[in-house]
Amino acid sequence: MSAIDLALIATFGPLGTALFLLLLPGLRRAGKAAGVISVGSAIIALGSALQLALRALETPELGRVTVQWLPHAQLGVASAAESAIQVGVHLDGLSVSMLVVVCFVAFCVQVFSLGYMAHEPPADFGRYFMWHSLFLFAMNTLVIAPNLLQLFLGWELVGLVSYLLIGYYWQKPSAARAALKAFWMTKLADMGLVAALIVLFKNTGGFEWTAHPQVAGVAGTVTLLLFLAVMGKSAQFPLHVWLPDAMEGPTPVSALLHAATMVAAGVFLVARAHPLFEQAPSTQLVMAYVGGFTALFAACIAVVQNDIKKVLAYSTCSQLGYMVCALGSGSQVAGFFHLTTHAFFKAMLFLAAGGLIHAVHSNDIRDMGGLFSRMKITAGAFIIGSLALAGVPGFSGFFSKDLILEEVFARGLYLPGIALLLAAFLTAFYMGRVVLIALFGEPSSHAAHAHESGVSMTFPLILLAVPAIGAGYYGATLSGLYGEPVHFHVSPIGMVATAMGLSGLGMAYFMFGAPKGGAALRTAFAPVGRFIALGLVDKAFLNGYRYGLRGLASGIGWFDRYVIDGLINALGYGTLEAGARLRPLQTGKVQDYIYAMAIAMIALGTAAAFLR
Amino acid sequence: MTHFLHAHMLSVIVAAPLLAALVVLLLPARDGLAIRITSFMGAFVALIGAVQVLRTYDTELGGLQRAESVPLVPQLGIDLSFAVDGWGVSLLLLTGIIIVTGVLASFTLEEREKEFFALLLTLVSGVFGVFVSQDLFVFFLFYEIAVLPMYLLIGVWGSHGKVQAQGPFAYVWKRFEIGGREYAAMKLTLMLLVGSAAILVAILGIYFAAGGTSFNLAHLGNTTYPKALQLWAFPLLWLGFGSLAGVFPFHTWSPDGHAAAPTAVSMLHAGVLMKLGAFGVIRVGMLLLPEGARYWAPWVGGVAVINVLYGALSAMSQKDLKYIIAYSSVSHMGVVMLGAATLTVDGWNGAIYQMFAHGMMTGLFFALVGLIYGRAHTRIIPNMGGFAKRMPWIAGFFTLAGLSSLGLPGLAGFVAEFLVFMGAWQSAHPWWAVPGILGAWVTAVYVLGAARSIFFGAGPSEHFHDLHDPKKSEWAALWALSACLILFGSYPRLILDFIHIATNEYLPRVAEVAQQLAVVKP
Amino acid sequence: MGLSAYLMLAAALFSVGLYGVLTRRNAVAVLASIELMANAANINLAAFSRFRAEATGQVFALFSTAITVAEVVVGLSLVILLYRSRGNVLLESASDLKG
Repeated sequence: MSAIDLALIATFGPLGTALFLLLLPGLRRAGKAAGVISVGSAIIALGSALQLALRALETPELGRVTVQWLPHAQLGVASAAESAIQVGVHLDGLSVSMLVVVCFVAFCVQVFSLGYMAHEPPADFGRYFMWHSLFLFAMNTLVIAPNLLQLFLGWELVGLVSYLLIGYYWQKPSAARAALKAFWMTKLADMGLVAALIVLFKNTGGFEWTAHPQVAGVAGTVTLLLFLAVMGKSAQFPLHVWLPDAMEGPTPVSALLHAATMVAAGVFLVARAHPLFEQAPSTQLVMAYVGGFTALFAACIAVVQNDIKKVLAYSTCSQLGYMVCALGSGSQVAGFFHLTTHAFFKAMLFLAAGGLIHAVHSNDIRDMGGLFSRMKITAGAFIIGSLALAGVPGFSGFFSKDLILEEVFARGLYLPGIALLLAAFLTAFYMGRVVLIALFGEPSSHAAHAHESGVSMTFPLILLAVPAIGAGYYGATLSGLYGEPVHFHVSPIGMVATAMGLSGLGMAYFMFGAPKGGAALRTAFAPVGRFIALGLVDKAFLNGYRYGLRGLASGIGWFDRYVIDGLINALGYGTLEAGARLRPLQTGKVQDYIYAMAIAMIALGTAAAFLR
Repeated sequence: MTHFLHAHMLSVIVAAPLLAALVVLLLPARDGLAIRITSFMGAFVALIGAVQVLRTYDTELGGLQRAESVPLVPQLGIDLSFAVDGWGVSLLLLTGIIIVTGVLASFTLEEREKEFFALLLTLVSGVFGVFVSQDLFVFFLFYEIAVLPMYLLIGVWGSHGKVQAQGPFAYVWKRFEIGGREYAAMKLTLMLLVGSAAILVAILGIYFAAGGTSFNLAHLGNTTYPKALQLWAFPLLWLGFGSLAGVFPFHTWSPDGHAAAPTAVSMLHAGVLMKLGAFGVIRVGMLLLPEGARYWAPWVGGVAVINVLYGALSAMSQKDLKYIIAYSSVSHMGVVMLGAATLTVDGWNGAIYQMFAHGMMTGLFFALVGLIYGRAHTRIIPNMGGFAKRMPWIAGFFTLAGLSSLGLPGLAGFVAEFLVFMGAWQSAHPWWAVPGILGAWVTAVYVLGAARSIFFGAGPSEHFHDLHDPKKSEWAALWALSACLILFGSYPRLILDFIHIATNEYLPRVAEVAQQLAVVKP
Repeated sequence: MGLSAYLMLAAALFSVGLYGVLTRRNAVAVLASIELMANAANINLAAFSRFRAEATGQVFALFSTAITVAEVVVGLSLVILLYRSRGNVLLESASDLKG
């Protein structure tokens, strides 16, 4: 089977499953069967992706096929090939790596969901897996895209699935609202991608990332617009506000879409289109600063959250900030490498958190406590994930984070670099806090009956733990797929970062884990925590929507109804009024009419005589 | 016989609904089933014909095909002449789809079915006629046939709304029963007739300037008109046809009219009739008066941009579901006019494709609104909530239509909007693309916001005891339209190839096409 | 006597008739005034016929007289109907078309 075929199987297999479940309501409502079919198609997709990865290790450029999607053979202009609006498959090291990550995490998450969602009504269970299959299709469409147009198609479709899955519990008003918010925010940012596409098309006659818009002087415009979309999808400040709310969705969804794959699509886009970004150094600078700021900012917020999913959500924002900053420094290898390791350990963290939530029926870390002794595997996975996230040496996160810091400092981006270092400290601190409170703290009443979850929920954790620990050691092989192979070495910056991470863990232990507890320290930092918890950015968006957009809309609605339409009505009214005024002229008396006629005749006659 | 049918396929398409209308008139009024089946057959024959025309259109050859002509008034050069080009085939198909689903969606009608279906089918004949007419006089004749039955359809079968008196013109409300169906019908008819009057003046001007010997569109198209004529006749055509396309500020008949109209009529009116207006602007205005079109294009585009954003924001402020959809039509027709004004290949392709896509999308919307209204007995959104629990499929279809209207890739709306935006950026006024793109976002805000308020969240309250998913014929209508949205969204070339042929043929008459892509090679 | 004398007479007669039509309230009187105006026209016809030495005008005048008779028949029957429905023959009582 050719590489293209494998990619098509990985993409359209899940689509087939989704359509199958959509068109056969009986099967969907059966629940379990739907889940099994969906997992089956995920296995097939994963198998194809792994097969592709094996081939890519030999020759990264596996092939490219495109077909015409919209006609655009323009008269008198370049040949059809140059101004083509095409879709197809493009397989190289980057897309194959992403494909493997997506399929692997999706497979783990779907298996986990079989257990996690088991108590849902069968019809909803089927719907859940239908959307999961659709997601795999959409994400793979994005990944194998041969140009930015198809990438955009997949980009919007994953946004749709995100909307559908966040709103899975649609009867909860908060979930319905969160789904809407996520869609609106990302869609607003996506307008940047649309704009980038049309600018790119006008100036280069296509949607290729290998194009040279700088020749026409628009590389800055195109890349800034692209970055706008990236900020929305990858939750960069100030467009990050949708991601924490997206945690209204089921936890496995958060693991797959809102931690590992979909939100990383923005990073993938930049890595994919790095030839474009390299033509626009100013955009790269903006990216580095936005990324660095987001990494620090989101880490600060994560520190004060008590909802375990919110902590992880802000942590995702923060880690995406790392990636964006790395991309801004011009190193798509570092950014993308962190994407892969992050996908593994963050998915694992979320799934483990899902296991904990499942056990205590609460998201609040204060309702957990002492869970380590009750659910060893889940808690162990959570600890491994936390250590990887904190950048403790030996775990995958350590390698990729180290690489990013090295690249950022190597390019002389000291300010973002320092932000990243501080964020590394905070990351270790908040993860340490969660682990200490939720897994080792005082057991609450909720946690008393907690027990280890079933095999369908622990098996994916074990599976994910392998790359979460080990991916870093294969850095050279993996990064060789999409760039210069990176060989790990100990660097001064790396040592500083490690020290920051370890001191963050230490501080967490001192504040939350030490026998006496750091009560004094906690009180000292409380005002900072309260300020962060205000959520000012979120409020700004809310007010902007409520009073800005809605206000403008009601103003225009009123204007249309009562001024524009009022004018039209006034015209009709005027006609009727004029008729009413002229009515008395019609007296009904024959002689009046004759009189008018006679006068008119005389007037006409006179006029004819004089105006000859 | 089959040979005859094949040779006169266009006449068959135009005549089939009219014939069905006549048969319906002869049927006894109490035999509702026969009336419905006859109507459905009339519509269905037209759809089959449209598909057949599409299938057999020779894309290699392009141009006008299947020409038929019968002299009507030889003294004035009026012929009943039909032919179809790439635009025509796609719009015929759209009309066929909408009328079939419209008839299916009104199977539940119970009041004066006979007259209703007869009028509906007459109207559709007019629409088909406009899309195939190659004679300006006949074009105008069919245009009027399509517009006028609307008065009765809304006035007799419509529903009432209520609007509060406010604002600087509140005194007007004393005289009118604003929001009522008679009011809506009268307003719609009067506004469109004023438009028709403007069109007629322009048509006569063009006819006499071209020698006063023939109304044939090809003949008129080959004539070069004096600049003065082009400059005054084009705006007359634009505003005349534009009033049907909902061009700002002549759009206000649309919300009231669509809100008052019964389901099938809304479907047809927003789905197809508004397209007649835009089609008239392009086919008559721009192609016959290229210089006028070039001169006025900045105005056409500027107003279209207002339409897009203004319509979307107005829709956002509405509480009545039908008004939301009606204003969204105003906004989306703005996209059509914007595409037309760009005078680029992509813009024109997008404009015609948007007619096609919006027709199906809004048809689906109005069908759904009718169903929701029939079950909930209210159209006021704040009163609703949680309906998805009892009507999950309707919720799904509504979301699908909404996603198409906000331009989600994979659905027909995206292709059209994207092409129009590309065209706008390539045109002489690139900034048009910005409000256009923003309009798509505002659409996302109000459509999905409405979907959330109606279908999601807690509920439905005890008050709504009648909620249930569609039945029989309604299923068919909803599935057909949804399938079309997905099909034409994921494989647009099914239609777009035809549109592209006609665009490539017509656009050079109006604009210098070669300059539009500023491709710079490294 | 020249042509103008006849024309003057006809004009005077016409004016008298017009005055009557415009001022009389009684429908019968209005009808009689209309007859005066018609006859003024007839005088013109006859006069032109005489001075141009052509018979057409006189033929026309005869024709016109016959038609006037028919007109009077219709007019008087309308007056009778008016009397039956209103009880009088005053013109202002027949102003149902008042706006």
